[in-house]
Amino acid sequence: MAAELDAVITEAGVLDNRPLSAATRLLVLDCPAVARAATPGRFVKLRAWPGPEENLGGPLLDRPFSIHRAEGGQLSLLYRIVGPATRLLSEVSPGAQVRLTGPLGRGLPEALTRRSGLYLVAGGIGLAPMALARDWLASAGGQATLFYGERTAAAQVEESWLKTWAGQDWVATVEDGSGYGRPGLVTEPLAQALQREARPIFACGPWPLLAAVANLARRYSAPALVSVEAGMACGLGVCLTCSLPLAVGGRFRACQEGPVVDALAVDWGAA
Amino acid sequence: MALDLTVKLGPLTLKNPVMTASGTFGYGLELKKFCPPELLGAVITKGVSLTPWPGNPGPRLAETAGGMLNAIGLQNMGLEAFVQTALPPLKAAGATVVANILGHSPEEYGRLAARLALTAVDMIEVNVSCPNVVCGGLAIGAEPSAVAEVAGAVRESCGAKPFMVKLTPQASDVVAVALAAETAGATAVSLINTLPGLAVDLERRRPRLANIIGGLSGPAVKPVALKQVWQCASALTIPVVGLGGITSARDALEFILVGAAAVQIGTATLVDPRAPLTILDNIRQWMLKEGLDDLSQLRGALKIG
Repeated sequence: MAAELDAVITEAGVLDNRPLSAATRLLVLDCPAVARAATPGRFVKLRAWPGPEENLGGPLLDRPFSIHRAEGGQLSLLYRIVGPATRLLSEVSPGAQVRLTGPLGRGLPEALTRRSGLYLVAGGIGLAPMALARDWLASAGGQATLFYGERTAAAQVEESWLKTWAGQDWVATVEDGSGYGRPGLVTEPLAQALQREARPIFACGPWPLLAAVANLARRYSAPALVSVEAGMACGLGVCLTCSLPLAVGGRFRACQEGPVVDALAVDWGAA
Repeated sequence: MALDLTVKLGPLTLKNPVMTASGTFGYGLELKKFCPPELLGAVITKGVSLTPWPGNPGPRLAETAGGMLNAIGLQNMGLEAFVQTALPPLKAAGATVVANILGHSPEEYGRLAARLALTAVDMIEVNVSCPNVVCGGLAIGAEPSAVAEVAGAVRESCGAKPFMVKLTPQASDVVAVALAAETAGATAVSLINTLPGLAVDLERRRPRLANIIGGLSGPAVKPVALKQVWQCASALTIPVVGLGGITSARDALEFILVGAAAVQIGTATLVDPRAPLTILDNIRQWMLKEGLDDLSQLRGALKIG
């Protein structure tokens, strides 16, 4: 069954849009209507350029972004400049308006026992949904350990900013050994932690990372939830572009049945 | 001034000329919060086949300049699930429903039409862009004779239901195909379906869609659509329903100016689910501004020479 559509379409005022690495930005929006209903793992679609009806060119489709944080009527999104649309977004200044549709999709299940804590696993811009997940756990006395991996130092977000929300309990990795944290892959400290204590996992990042997390979850009998990514047009369940394969056969929509799904439900060998 | 926006497609009267294009409005109720289907001229539902189709592997989407390529592969719930579960609540909501159908042979189309003839659907739209399994995989809609066969099979099976044939811009002579549909008894034709296209990832040296080829839609296709709608509307006596890259009331009115009886909104709805209603409202505003009380004064009024 599809998630109940509680999204709104609204204009949101930009409060901040600041760099946290060469290509990473934190966008803070004044948007009580969406912030109120935001839960960890849900997403919004956003447009920071003219709509096609204005006949001015620019990207046709809105872009989906995980909700990074929601508090006091403010909604923040952590994003990476990867193409023309995110470049346009990075040029938006405080005081401007963007169009937001959300919150969309399914996030972490309400029924999750928050007190048993979570290992939060972020690959690259997969860091985006982790702050809200951590806030949500903390509000129920649950412990969050963050594992944050990047390829290079240039990609890493500012360490001082990470500490402002991740607290003390986090491990960073950097593949080429050039930045802060441990050299190597994020799955290495995760595997060690799972060996000590098989806590539930919430992971977000590239497909190969999520596939590796699914393998670790199976090996250590740890429940694992993953936030998947797929090219998406409508975000509302009708276009079927963001369809991904299920392990049992058949497919699911990242925007409707996801983006947060059980790692073992996904067919990681297909696409 | 009281505006009359009604449109007649054979025996069927639409409240207004704005419909949803198949595949962009689900089975009609998913987006009702943003676009109540009963306010539209008609809802054209996601194409259904005799049995459910699983669709293509992903990636299924690639954005291109002014448009998007999709390769969904006509994934759908199948005819019986549509009739039993999707159609009743959509009719109960007060929507005018056009059921879009997909098949691989005239026989399949005939069976789909025969089943829908026994339901509350108001009209059938026949998608002829699928490969023809009987004739070597070419799109049925590319050949006038194949379209005539499919339209004839639907005509024989659909009872009193009106039906329109949704034409593909792949035909080398779209007017010949449209005339074949008319001669075979179609109530109307609609065009254009998506244009086949390719997008590639230069660095990875790979196609961007798993299916390699996808269907192009959005503003980029509008001039192609406008030209083919104009040609068909000029040549046919049955109504022509126009679609292809309509994102504004002005776009919609341009299709009516070149002869379209009504229009369908597709990709614009994926960008903003309110688009069909916004376009309808702005058509009304434009008519008031221009002092038109119905669209017959604009329809086909393109001045040539």
